[in-house]
Amino acid sequence: MENGKFGKYGGMFVSEVLIHALLELDEAFKKIYPTDEFQKEFHELLKDYGGRPTPLYYAKNFSKLVGFKVYLKREDLLCGGSHKLNNALGQALLAKKMGKKRLITETAAGQHGLATVMAGNICGLKTEIFMGIKDIERQALNVKKMELLGAKIKPIKTGAGVLKDAVSETLREWAACSRTTHYLMGSTVGPHPFPTIVATFQSVIGNEIKKQIFEKEGRLPNAIVCCGSGGSNALGAFKPFINEHGVRLYFVEGGGENLNAENSAAAFQIGSPCVLHGSIMQAIQDKWGQIKPSKTRAAGLNYPGRGPEISYLCEIGRVKACYAFDHEVFNAVKFICKTEGLIPALETAHAVAFVLNHPEEFHSDDIVIINFSGRGDKDIETILRFFYGFN
Amino acid sequence: MDLINEKFLELRDRKEGAHIAHIYYGDPNEEFSIKLVEILVKNGVDMIEFGIPFSDPIADGPIFQASCERALNAGITPIKCINGIKKLKDLKIPIIVTTYFNIPYVIGFEKFLEMIKETGAEGILIPDLPLEEAEPYLKMIREKDLHLILQVAPTTSNERLKRILMNASGFIYLISLEGVTGSKLRINPSILKLIKDIKAQSTIPIIVGFGISKKEHAEIIIANGADGIAIGSAYARIYSKDLKNPYRKLFEIAKLAREIKIGCINGYRKRL
Repeated sequence: MENGKFGKYGGMFVSEVLIHALLELDEAFKKIYPTDEFQKEFHELLKDYGGRPTPLYYAKNFSKLVGFKVYLKREDLLCGGSHKLNNALGQALLAKKMGKKRLITETAAGQHGLATVMAGNICGLKTEIFMGIKDIERQALNVKKMELLGAKIKPIKTGAGVLKDAVSETLREWAACSRTTHYLMGSTVGPHPFPTIVATFQSVIGNEIKKQIFEKEGRLPNAIVCCGSGGSNALGAFKPFINEHGVRLYFVEGGGENLNAENSAAAFQIGSPCVLHGSIMQAIQDKWGQIKPSKTRAAGLNYPGRGPEISYLCEIGRVKACYAFDHEVFNAVKFICKTEGLIPALETAHAVAFVLNHPEEFHSDDIVIINFSGRGDKDIETILRFFYGFN
Repeated sequence: MDLINEKFLELRDRKEGAHIAHIYYGDPNEEFSIKLVEILVKNGVDMIEFGIPFSDPIADGPIFQASCERALNAGITPIKCINGIKKLKDLKIPIIVTTYFNIPYVIGFEKFLEMIKETGAEGILIPDLPLEEAEPYLKMIREKDLHLILQVAPTTSNERLKRILMNASGFIYLISLEGVTGSKLRINPSILKLIKDIKAQSTIPIIVGFGISKKEHAEIIIANGADGIAIGSAYARIYSKDLKNPYRKLFEIAKLAREIKIGCINGYRKRL
């Protein structure tokens, strides 16, 4: 990685107004992150507040049904209910040490917004969350949680009222207040240095997986399967394994209803290289370079772009880009509820769905790890509506 | 000599500051945009920033966001925009093409430059292409005899300012505020100091933009040494109030354009 570039992807494509803030952040991260003081504070928070390490659970019933060993990395057990807290705590701590007074961010499923206000409260920083009106509607529980914790929610009505529009609006807000405010980017997207910072904070997931699987199996896994759009839970899990070439890495996008450009969020299938939200990445766009809205039932995967590093890793073939359709995802929810008694987030269920529907990818002596990135409380209504047609 | 330089020399002779108007082409339709530019030019606009609409204009405020959205919904494409520039040839004024980097990136940057050059436009301004990302293209742009208009902001460090000025061409675009286009402008000492800092290091003309909406803005900014102002959202705000028949608003737009130009003239004369 050179100047925030991963192959042709990445970079710092923002207005001159924001350059100083990105350079300041880059410098602060390089200086503060490696210090003993920061590491101690960060890891204590992850452990005592967040509940890390999260368990690596051997899913016996699941394994028996698919015919190979499946482990679930239980990020759903992290405080807040998803992997998002790893990054939020790291960045909030960094922002505080940089002397910032306020955090702004965007959220779609609400998990990142929730993690941000939790981290903001711990660090004594005010929090404002930008959220598309459509997402506010379908993630009502998380909106209530964020409000209860004291976050200010700013509804975004522009565009389709979803994550893409909320990211644009947060970037605009940041241009007006970057001297005092930190944009707590929630995924491995955006201009440099965000993709690197977020991946670094999330790599705690992969580091734990490596240690835990050696303890349990005495060897590396054969495959790691993660859902994603921007790529933060996936890169977090993949990072320590990128140079372990025996470990197959699968990235599962939101396939939506079908792979028609109007009905999907599978940017690796129907997208192309694009400059969006400050960096070059794989994204869904028309032939003239206008960004198209993505579509999937999982709000957290409903972003048209893939972060620069995951775009690069898929391009060079180190990570395999896959997808799961909405109906497969809902069936995967049902499956995991029955076999393991766990209600996954719709996002997480994409990874489960891929494993269930692609037996050709796995062998009977494989050890497969699914990053179980979040729990499904927030999606209960959507799930019930899908199966029973009522709330 | 190129039209931008020529225009600044001409304005200096006339003792006037430059009045640059930014429009998004195709909002709400192509015919109106052509008419709008004609009216602006007849009423004291010296150069046009010709905007190619983009779906996610992150440096633009709500007025220009709506402008892009309307134009795209009405079916505008970069090719239609480029053909639109050709229709403005008879006005004989410098045109700077403004768009977000993804548009030329997808078309192919060199091909895009060639298409722009062919229309007779003088330069390009890409708000999400800061100097570092523009560097690989600087030579290509020069060879095509086009200007890349670079921006500086109140947040730009002295060291960056120096590097940006070394690579600046045509004019330097000074972003007047921390924020997006169409924000409320309060002219503060830091802007006036930035104008002085630039003048101390370079002879390149300085255009100040973002948030300019009235005569007084233009007057103060130019009296303090800037060579002109860029204004856009203030014009779009007027016609977006009557989208059924935006032509009815052209009179009001012409009036504002004349006032802004008076500000540009008064400001310049106060300098002398």
